[in-house]
Amino acid sequence: MPVDIYWRIAMEGDAPALRLGDITRGGFGPHRPGALAPGADDGYGPLDYMAEVARATERAGFVGGLMPSFPETDDPWAAAASLAGETSAYRFMIAFQPGFLHPVQAARMSASLQAATGGRVVYNIISGGGGPQQLWWGDRVDHDDRYARTSEFLDVLKGVWNGPYDHDGRFYTVEGGALPPELRGQPFPEVYFSGSSPAAIAAAGRHADYYLSWLEPFDALAEKFAQVRAHSDTPPKFAVRVDVLARETEDEAWDEIRRGWARASDRASGGTESVGWKRGRSFTEGAGSSYRDLEVQPNVWGGFDRLRPGPLFGLVGDYHQVAERLDELVRLGVDAFILAGVPHLEEARRVGRHVLPLLKGRLS
Amino acid sequence: MTRVHVVAPTRAPAPVALPDFVTDVRPPARGPEHRATGRAAELGGLSGVLVPFDPGGHDALVLAAAVLRDTRRIGVTVEFSAAVTTPVYAAKLSASLQRYHAGRLAWWLAVDQDPAVARAHGDVLTGPARYERADEFLTIARGVWAGRGYSREGAHFAVLDGGLPDSRVDRPFPRVWLSGTSPDALALSARHADVHVLAPGDDPALVPDGVAAAVRLRFAGDADAFADQLRTYEAHGVTEFVVDPADPVADAYRLAEHVLPRLAKEAGNAG
Repeated sequence: MPVDIYWRIAMEGDAPALRLGDITRGGFGPHRPGALAPGADDGYGPLDYMAEVARATERAGFVGGLMPSFPETDDPWAAAASLAGETSAYRFMIAFQPGFLHPVQAARMSASLQAATGGRVVYNIISGGGGPQQLWWGDRVDHDDRYARTSEFLDVLKGVWNGPYDHDGRFYTVEGGALPPELRGQPFPEVYFSGSSPAAIAAAGRHADYYLSWLEPFDALAEKFAQVRAHSDTPPKFAVRVDVLARETEDEAWDEIRRGWARASDRASGGTESVGWKRGRSFTEGAGSSYRDLEVQPNVWGGFDRLRPGPLFGLVGDYHQVAERLDELVRLGVDAFILAGVPHLEEARRVGRHVLPLLKGRLS
Repeated sequence: MTRVHVVAPTRAPAPVALPDFVTDVRPPARGPEHRATGRAAELGGLSGVLVPFDPGGHDALVLAAAVLRDTRRIGVTVEFSAAVTTPVYAAKLSASLQRYHAGRLAWWLAVDQDPAVARAHGDVLTGPARYERADEFLTIARGVWAGRGYSREGAHFAVLDGGLPDSRVDRPFPRVWLSGTSPDALALSARHADVHVLAPGDDPALVPDGVAAAVRLRFAGDADAFADQLRTYEAHGVTEFVVDPADPVADAYRLAEHVLPRLAKEAGNAG
């Protein structure tokens, strides 16, 4: 069975190096000397840089890119629809919450994008998060209810996709919903389903093609996969979101972390209220204050959240070590990866050239 | 200054078969000719393209993003209903389009939709409540657009401590287009519209003060007659025209090369 390897695309701008942190490429921040693609100044804006990343990602051997969605980022639908014509094979993994769009509108947008791209849309459906951030989005539905909504949302979306469809439910009412003739028959996007709470795991069993988790210590990850399997009649495939910092030598890789840590260790971590984030934090509770104390098992480092906003765990090591850890994850049952590195452009090229060719998969 | 917008196609054109003996290297068609229409409008100096909501066609927002990416100067107006998303998400998504595409997006909020079409798209609201919802939608969208710490609890939408991140790339709030001649429609326009679109025969005097009057017209291909028609409207204060073409790409060029010069000449700008 082939393994699909994606590469994240930054929706909030990019930094020149993980150890530097400052967003200087196509971001939201103030202009700095050396900034690339700020927009007005050079007529070369955020989307032009993203197009470069997408093209580099496609050339480097990845199947596509995860386009994340947070209050501080640009929007994945806007980016995917704007970039549809820039690549030929790149799959657009669009992160969204069912509360953002009505399912009929989501069906229309998705089918239109499928038509424009030849079927390259993938969903990353997020239901959880919560707390103040959820009200920032204008979403009043409670955490556990949001999984019920996600289920109903996907039912309606699929119903309309294969319409005509009538529905009278708790969250949505549709009468005679259907796609227009020239949008019918498009492949339904693959569903990557995120969420670490019990409600998420239960819903994933019903709707996910892939259950997507952030990287965790491998034992914890295996346990999580087992839980999802136990909750599903037909278990989904598994995907992991993994930051990688791979260099020719291990020392070089850790030196990047060391320098980044020296700059960032006093900064607040970019945490959220999600169950996944709290769970990730628990694996390094009681660890010492040195950056190396967060290496919970060889090459698995839990301090990435201090260097950039996002997940805690990633892989640090030389090209062979990183490839070996990815192979271990494949043997653990991982069917797809979403890898990431900063800057997204050069690191996509590096990982494509030096790490992906070393992978052995289930044969290793 | 008169502004002319051409309506982009939302459905694929009928396929044209080539004779068997003619080598055919055409790539597979991927939907409507919206991008070619946008490029024609840009090349010809039209003011913009309208991508309408067409229940039988491709999604307007997806088409509009592609037109924006293919052009640098024209405005792109996307028609949608306040039932398809939340004002926060509409603002979020549109702010990105504004950042990506030099602030050229406009919104046409469709309020008075056919009830059967609305229900098929999950919208069961009817009557004046639709105007109340549109008002709330535009109010909240502007609120979160303007900055941090915005809260509002409405009948249809809510937001707590919202507000889009600052952007150093200009991202002006989309120009707002509205339409309709009912008192509710005109009151909504008075509060929110930059452009109010009339049907042929509607009285331009209905358009609220401070709002640009537009008329949506069919173009049948006769440039002289069409220019005359536009000038008549101009004399009554109409400054924007939304043109439904018979053949979008060809008509965009026709409007540019044969209609716009006739308007300029009348205004004494032709040198």
